[in-house]
Formats: sequence, structure tokens, C-alpha cells
Amino acid sequence: MKATLEIINQMQADGIIGEYAIGGAVGATFYLAPAATVDLDIFATLPETSGTALVSLSPIYEFLKSRGGIIQDEYIVVGDWPVQFLLPNNTLEQEAVHQAVSTDVDGIPTRVISAEHLVAIALNTGRAKDYSRILQFLEQQAVHPKTLQEVIDRHGLSAKWNQFEQRFLKGSR
Amino acid sequence: MSKPKLQARQAALSFSEKIKLLEKLRDREKLIAAAGLRRKAPRAAADEKE
Repeated sequence: MKATLEIINQMQADGIIGEYAIGGAVGATFYLAPAATVDLDIFATLPETSGTALVSLSPIYEFLKSRGGIIQDEYIVVGDWPVQFLLPNNTLEQEAVHQAVSTDVDGIPTRVISAEHLVAIALNTGRAKDYSRILQFLEQQAVHPKTLQEVIDRHGLSAKWNQFEQRFLKGSR
Repeated sequence: MSKPKLQARQAALSFSEKIKLLEKLRDREKLIAAAGLRRKAPRAAADEKE
């Protein structure tokens, strides 16, 4: 992971990407007990490009390929981790990257999406594994309820949250 | 040690320590997958026999 993050940090220093933050299962591991995963999800913004509405991951892939990155399906293997780069495509994900928490892995600085934003993104994505992760956050008391509610309300996820509560939490609280 | 206690202990580790555990888990998953040790679903196993 250390080598992976060093290369991503270099990519940021070179202006290929703007802000970035770790999400997905590895991001969740910052707050929870580790659970097996095979990939690293990186939410990354691109630098401001004037006059074009087109956004592309090509500069990221070209940079990483020139440093030994190998493309495998939707991933690019960087260091020893398959990495999936995700461009924030709504205000929730943009806010999540902007408000990410600074930390480090073995001295290499990095940022991780906040617990409340990870839960909100999982709620919005809505696959079975996302619901399972939300339950882990709640069971391990790893989210601040008031902050989570504010994120949910701010990004129009109240209906989805109510459905989630009805389906998974009814009778358990 | 109970599962909640183990989870709490692991959750309290530093991010660097958790990443090391994640990498061990990931490598173990890879080994199991490569060795074909994954338990097959009953239907898939039956299909293979047919």
C-alpha cells in the first residue's frame, strides 16, 4: 500500500489529479475492523480544465502506465494494489473528497473519506454489500449520528435512509 | 475472545496496522482462489457432475 500511495501522491504533486481520498472497503477500514477486500477505491478530482466539458481518466492511466501500472479490467494495478479511480459525480461525492480526513500509512500521507460520507455514499449506491457495510458502521458505533443525519439531509437521501431503517433496523433499536 | 471484543480491538489499531492486516487477508483470499478451495454452490457442483 505504501508504494501505491507514494505513486498516487506523486500524481497529485504533478497536477494529474486534484484532491483525492480513499473510499470503499479500504476507507471503511480506517474506522472499522479490517474486512477482506481486493481493491483500493480512490475518489479523485481532476484539475480545472477551462473550456471543456469532457472529463477523462486517460491522463491518470497514462501517468500510471508510465510508472509500471498494469490495466486489469476496471482497475489499474499500482504497486501491489488494484486501484479503481472514481471521479466524484455528484455533490455528495465532491463534498466527501473535500472533507476527507488526513492520515498516513507507514508515514506516507493520505486522506480517507469520513465515516459519515462513506455511509451516505454506500446508502446512495445501495447494493447488498453497501448495506452490509452501513450495518457494520452502525454496529461498531463508528459514525456520529447527528453528523450522518446532516449529510443524509443535505444530499437528499432521507427517503433512502428511511427505507434502510425500515428494512434493516426496525425492531433492533 | 468474543467477536465484538475482537472487532473493537482491531478497530482501535492504527490505520497502518489495519492495512497490514488487510494485505494479509487479501493475500489469503488470493491463495484460496488460486488453489480452487472455494466451496462451490450446490447447484454449480451438481452441474459439474452432470
